[in-house]
Amino acid sequence: MTLARLRRQSIGYALIAPAMLVAIVFLFVPMIVSAFWSFTEYNGVRPPTWVGLDNYATLLGNARFQRSFWNTVAFVVMGMGLGPPLGLASALLLNRALAFRGLFRVAFFLPVMTSLVVVATIWKMLYNEGGLINTVLTAFSLPGHGWLSDPGTALPAIVVASVWQGFGFETVVFLAALGGIPRDYYDAAKVDGAGRWAQLRHVTLPGLRPTILFVYIIGIIGSFQVFDQIFVMTQGGPVNATRTLVFHLYDKFNSLDLGEASAVAYFLFVVLASLSWIQFRFFGERE
Amino acid sequence: MAARRLRRAGLYAFLVGASVLMVVPFYWTLSTAFKESANVFASPPQLIPDPATLDNFEDVFTLLPFPRYFVNSVVVTGLIVLCNVVFGTMAAYAFAKLRFPGRDLIFAVLLLTLMVPFQVNLIPLYAIMVRLRDATGVIGADTYFGLVAPSAIQVFGIFLMRQFLRSIPNEILENARVDGAGEWRILRSIIFPLAAPGMATLAIFTFVGAWNDFLWPLIVTSSDEMRTLPVGLALLARRNTVNWGQTMAGTVLAAAPMIVVFLVLQRQFIEGLTAGSVKDVG
Repeated sequence: MTLARLRRQSIGYALIAPAMLVAIVFLFVPMIVSAFWSFTEYNGVRPPTWVGLDNYATLLGNARFQRSFWNTVAFVVMGMGLGPPLGLASALLLNRALAFRGLFRVAFFLPVMTSLVVVATIWKMLYNEGGLINTVLTAFSLPGHGWLSDPGTALPAIVVASVWQGFGFETVVFLAALGGIPRDYYDAAKVDGAGRWAQLRHVTLPGLRPTILFVYIIGIIGSFQVFDQIFVMTQGGPVNATRTLVFHLYDKFNSLDLGEASAVAYFLFVVLASLSWIQFRFFGERE
Repeated sequence: MAARRLRRAGLYAFLVGASVLMVVPFYWTLSTAFKESANVFASPPQLIPDPATLDNFEDVFTLLPFPRYFVNSVVVTGLIVLCNVVFGTMAAYAFAKLRFPGRDLIFAVLLLTLMVPFQVNLIPLYAIMVRLRDATGVIGADTYFGLVAPSAIQVFGIFLMRQFLRSIPNEILENARVDGAGEWRILRSIIFPLAAPGMATLAIFTFVGAWNDFLWPLIVTSSDEMRTLPVGLALLARRNTVNWGQTMAGTVLAAAPMIVVFLVLQRQFIEGLTAGSVKDVG
């Protein structure tokens, strides 16, 4: 009996061994190393020298870092203001018997499957001075615009492309969740005389609460890490108007400021961890 | 009745309009890829390339080894999916159904790492890969190993499979044990078959994530022969700011494989990418 149990235990360890080996070497070790590097000055060649909190202090006082932080916040706020509501609206529209429902769903989901690099390249062409968007605007006698070359419109333009790419995911997530709200609830609401809006407010939205929380947590964490679109469309420009946290990190990595780059990474980590905590704490468990 | 029909018509008009907005950028990409460079920004715009040309594709092929990028993407994505499905299911089975000291603690520590964004690991990972390459010459930075290893296990995948495997009744496993089946045998002939739908979900979202991944492949590769499709395309687009026909030809080549796979397996993909998420929260 004990021998069999011992055997079974050792099999447990054997089964998790490959996964744990990868996790230790490529997850835990790098995590700890970069925490250490964030307190050092390190260029990858000479051994790191301890500088305490200097990197963090430098970052917080650095205008380009501040800019990249606020740009990232603006990207997240705009993206999260547009994407999930758009996904919810399309899900509500698609959540009924419709001819070609599957076709609409595929159309909305197609960009989700496509890599951000592909989407960003396509939209870079569409935003071009002579591109399709300006051509359409001119056809309606509206002025064209250098969407990505104007610091005022570059970031919103990237947000639009990103929302276009991503809201189909939210659509199908909401669609799946809508299917899980029992019909009886709607019937009961109708008996109580609830109209369409009242049903939406008192049955649908409460029923979607956990899904909305999920979509926002995933969305905020993902948007805070925005990089691919920036790399392809603007390289952080014009004049840092689209420089984001991860792009700043990439820049510091390229210029071999590895200490500062690690500090950016941990700054991002702390921001994301506190945001997730706030979301769970205040919106997670009200039921 | 009339109001109802009007609303219905409005709904369809809106949905069709929205679908057009989703499809037009793809169509425009395809169309531009076949245009002569003088006609790319022609006014009025050419909906259908006239004359249609294959020059852009030829140029892209001579400029960059796109077939090689495709092979790299296939190999790297295939290995990542394989490792995640096999090792992930093995680990998930142990966490879900076997008892051993430290099990819950190890799992909790793994779950905590879900909070850590990849960028935190990025620079040390790169340093590890460079050192591995210097020491061995065959694995590390700018090799398939370097591209695959950091993604060979996703904690979220283990978590998802564990949820899935917990729904398998213990009696089935106990009966097999009474019949004298060892744990490896149980894994092979009971768990893997029963877990197949979960493994398919895991395979799909790992596939999509790995195929579209950009930041890590950008950093860990340095030679043209090791680039993946997204990295190859991004470098083409950066090098090539004027010749949009060429860039769009590259975009078509980079996007086509995934779009074809998606159109063939659309239901599985949409369900696979959402199932894991919705089940856990809803």
